[in-house]
Amino acid sequence: MEEINPRFTGAITLSVIIAFALTILPINEQWVLHRPEWLALTFIHWGLVSPSKSSLVFAWFVGLLIDSLYGTIMGQHALGFTIVLFLTLRMRSRLLMDSYFQQLFLLFLVLGTYLLINLWILGITGNTPEGWGYWYTVFSSLLIWPLYHYYMRLFHAQKKSF
Amino acid sequence: MIKFVILALISMAFMTLDYRKNRLLPVRTGLTKFLIYPVQYTVDLPYRLANFTQEFFSDHDELSKANRELRALVGVYAARDQKYHSIAKENQRLRSQLSATPAVREKFTLTEILSVSSNPFSKNVVINKGTDDGIFVGQVALAGNNIYGQTESVTPSSAVIMQLTDVKHAIHVRNVRTGQGALAVGTGKINRLELKHVETSMDIQTGDKFVSSGLGQLFPPDFPVAIVDSVEYNPGDSFMKVHARPFTDFSKTREILMIWRADYSSELEIKNNTGQEQEADK
Repeated sequence: MEEINPRFTGAITLSVIIAFALTILPINEQWVLHRPEWLALTFIHWGLVSPSKSSLVFAWFVGLLIDSLYGTIMGQHALGFTIVLFLTLRMRSRLLMDSYFQQLFLLFLVLGTYLLINLWILGITGNTPEGWGYWYTVFSSLLIWPLYHYYMRLFHAQKKSF
Repeated sequence: MIKFVILALISMAFMTLDYRKNRLLPVRTGLTKFLIYPVQYTVDLPYRLANFTQEFFSDHDELSKANRELRALVGVYAARDQKYHSIAKENQRLRSQLSATPAVREKFTLTEILSVSSNPFSKNVVINKGTDDGIFVGQVALAGNNIYGQTESVTPSSAVIMQLTDVKHAIHVRNVRTGQGALAVGTGKINRLELKHVETSMDIQTGDKFVSSGLGQLFPPDFPVAIVDSVEYNPGDSFMKVHARPFTDFSKTREILMIWRADYSSELEIKNNTGQEQEADK
């Protein structure tokens, strides 16, 4: 897949701010566990379509913001997002980008790693979440991905039409 | 690759620093204040706007009716307050005769919930007042008459309140019927507490009301906390499994009362300044 440029300067930042807003949007208690990992999805998206424009430092910083928002230990999500973007950049060249199955497989792998590392850190700091609820977000993220990936095209540079 | 390794190492260094001692609190506070608070405020704006317009366009009759009811209520409270004052004076006099320490006096302020935690595994909310209004870490939060939780962290203009139901939270409670004590620990699920260390010999039944015991010096005594939902006992266990429902409905509360207790709030503030007082009641 050829590399696509963001539509304008700050398009990546804007999409991350939107993902951030989606992350803190209040929703019904029943659905809280099913909230997709918007920010991780955003970083995966930009890692796939625009690797040279995605910055590990930026992902790390946004992770730090999430840590101060959630009250989790400083560095947990920072490490998580850095790993998400790094794995995406690493595996991107091994995929046929037009195949949704390969994309979903990559997503599954990256999100799984991200959540597993988060779980370890939570466990070490003594906040192990109970039950399987912790993993629901993988499936909601996988389900929402095709739609999200599609609408993220709004932030891509448009091809010139005649 | 090198960038990744460096960032991972910095993250780990951060985690080591932040673990237990909260050495990165200034960083956290700064980020929250300058970057997260604006976004939170914007996200919450539609809700505020909806509330505002609803109030703005509400019926005149309805408003005057509400006004009448509130006036009546103020009258009732004023009468009660009068009685309270005379009792408080009497109490003071008796205490001075006994040369006992003066009773705890309390001061309240009403705050609004700005946002509910988006982290599904911690139960906390952000309120719209902070150190500028005198909020401090470890401060007790009430919802109406009932205990809501305590302040977890604070910035100049906002504060994070940990709810009773957070997994990290525990409060010592007393059974109103029998006077026996127990520890009410959060489950991380909404409106659900678990009473820990309830021995099998203890007299406890569904419908028992628990109030704060005041042990631990953080929460004021005799504020309603929870009502017992179910009591289970598996033969062979040393403790009973007791589930309780807090009196505060955490899904509906929008306003929180912050409380200052005259006698030791200053003491807590000192501890807060040295950065030691994180989970005072744990």
